[in-house]
Amino acid sequence: MELFIQQLVSGISIGAIYSLLAVGYALVYSVYNFTNWAFDGFMAFGAFMAFTGITSLFMPFWLAALLSIVLTVILSVGTEKLAYNPLRVRKAPRLFMMISAMGVNLATVNIINLIYGGTFRKFPVDNLQPIFIKGVSIGRMDLMAGGISFGVLALLWIFLYRTKWGLGIRASSIDILTASLMGINNNAVAMIVFAITGVLSSVAGVFYGIKYAVFPMMGVVTIKAMIASIVGGLGSLPAAIVGSMILGILETLVSGYISSTYRDLFSFLFLIIILLFFPNGLMGKSSDEKL
Amino acid sequence: MSEEILNIKNLTVDFGGVRAVNNVSIALQPGEFVGLIGPNGAGKTTILNLITNAIKPTSGEINFKGQSILGKSPDRICQLGISRTFQNIRLFPQMTAYENVELGFHSEPHYSLAEAFIRTPHARKIEIDTRKKAMELLEIVNLKEHSHARASSLPYGLQRRLEMARAMATSPELLLLDEPAAGMNDDECNDLVQLIRQIHTSMKYTIIMIEHHMNVVMDLCRDSRIYVLNLGSLLAVGSPTEIQNNPDVIRAYLGERKQHD
Repeated sequence: MELFIQQLVSGISIGAIYSLLAVGYALVYSVYNFTNWAFDGFMAFGAFMAFTGITSLFMPFWLAALLSIVLTVILSVGTEKLAYNPLRVRKAPRLFMMISAMGVNLATVNIINLIYGGTFRKFPVDNLQPIFIKGVSIGRMDLMAGGISFGVLALLWIFLYRTKWGLGIRASSIDILTASLMGINNNAVAMIVFAITGVLSSVAGVFYGIKYAVFPMMGVVTIKAMIASIVGGLGSLPAAIVGSMILGILETLVSGYISSTYRDLFSFLFLIIILLFFPNGLMGKSSDEKL
Repeated sequence: MSEEILNIKNLTVDFGGVRAVNNVSIALQPGEFVGLIGPNGAGKTTILNLITNAIKPTSGEINFKGQSILGKSPDRICQLGISRTFQNIRLFPQMTAYENVELGFHSEPHYSLAEAFIRTPHARKIEIDTRKKAMELLEIVNLKEHSHARASSLPYGLQRRLEMARAMATSPELLLLDEPAAGMNDDECNDLVQLIRQIHTSMKYTIIMIEHHMNVVMDLCRDSRIYVLNLGSLLAVGSPTEIQNNPDVIRAYLGERKQHD
């Protein structure tokens, strides 16, 4: 029973990190209809910036995290301006955007590799003692990762559903041309969307780095976020979160009760089974409800 | 000259080898209600698309309130005071009727993101004002009781009305109506004529309306002009009676009578 609860808590915290990434994918996909592969590199970039902040600039953790968020937002919005916006203005097919995103991703990961080298590094935070509640040990890091991730997601939800900017983004996700005819500035929407993905990838990168390690290829984990958002239903934010939680919990239970070697096997098997029975994902209503 | 709210001069646009709009000039005084008619493919909707810069003209000028709006982005043109409805309804189907209208007020209130999150009195006041204004518009088009219905769940006629309310929400000075009566029966047309006339007089909009229902056009434009387009060129301009008796217009619509000797 203790093992089950421990794995559940750990699963929720991993699920929360996947949620951040899955929501980032879903947000870009719902507005621009392409998979932002560059996300992967941004996540590693975010983790390395926080890492550098602590090790080289001797910043406290929160300041380094803030630095990482700011720089990743700049990178994400800059990518939008330099790589995606020119394609969008020329009305290029969305496949081109995806290829462009892959290029950005390769460049980011390899530049990080050149500068820092490919070794695994431990994220420099103090070894936090787990909390014991009735014999169940719960990692402080898990609590923090879960709590902050859900906090970020809650803020995003308020932004999308309770503010006029959110209304504009939701309208753009349905019909970007009509939205602009109603006075919504497409470029502003793009900036906001990519700034949000910058925040999400940075936070996810930092927590993933703390939980496992910091290395240039760490962004490969975003494939899990892809699985999660497909399991939930591509392009929908609530579905992305549901898919991520299911996947996170499934993975930690498999690691705990079977073997962590088979973790990824089960993840992909799970994806195949879900798609066999729910081709649009668990909550996918094809392209109806996006945000 | 400067009195004109909209001044289109020698507007031409080519789609590949097809000249969709050929040397068209239209000038509107503030508050006018003009009709734009013509057979299918005459270039009527293309002219509206040119005004909102969804399409770039090959040559010509479009001036709105004395300044050129060529090359301005659609959202900028909307903010300057031009709004439109669509021939095939283009609401945001997954959003509620209220949200569709609320969106139109998007560019207007000024408050910062932080204010929106903390919900300062200032931001809240703007939200309440917006809500009030949006509900007023929904009331004008008789959709108040449907404010929380999804736009896609509304019947066709109500969706048309909702689109009109949404267009009004951007507080336009020039309203472009693209076939507002399309697919409506006679009763619905009569209601619509009343609604449009009421909007025109109470809101003091300048309106360009494309319409195929001749009763609707002749009724609404009885005090002003109708522009007739055929194959991209202006065929005739005049009052409803003049247009109805214009031999060129009759020929464009009905074809030429075979001459017997």
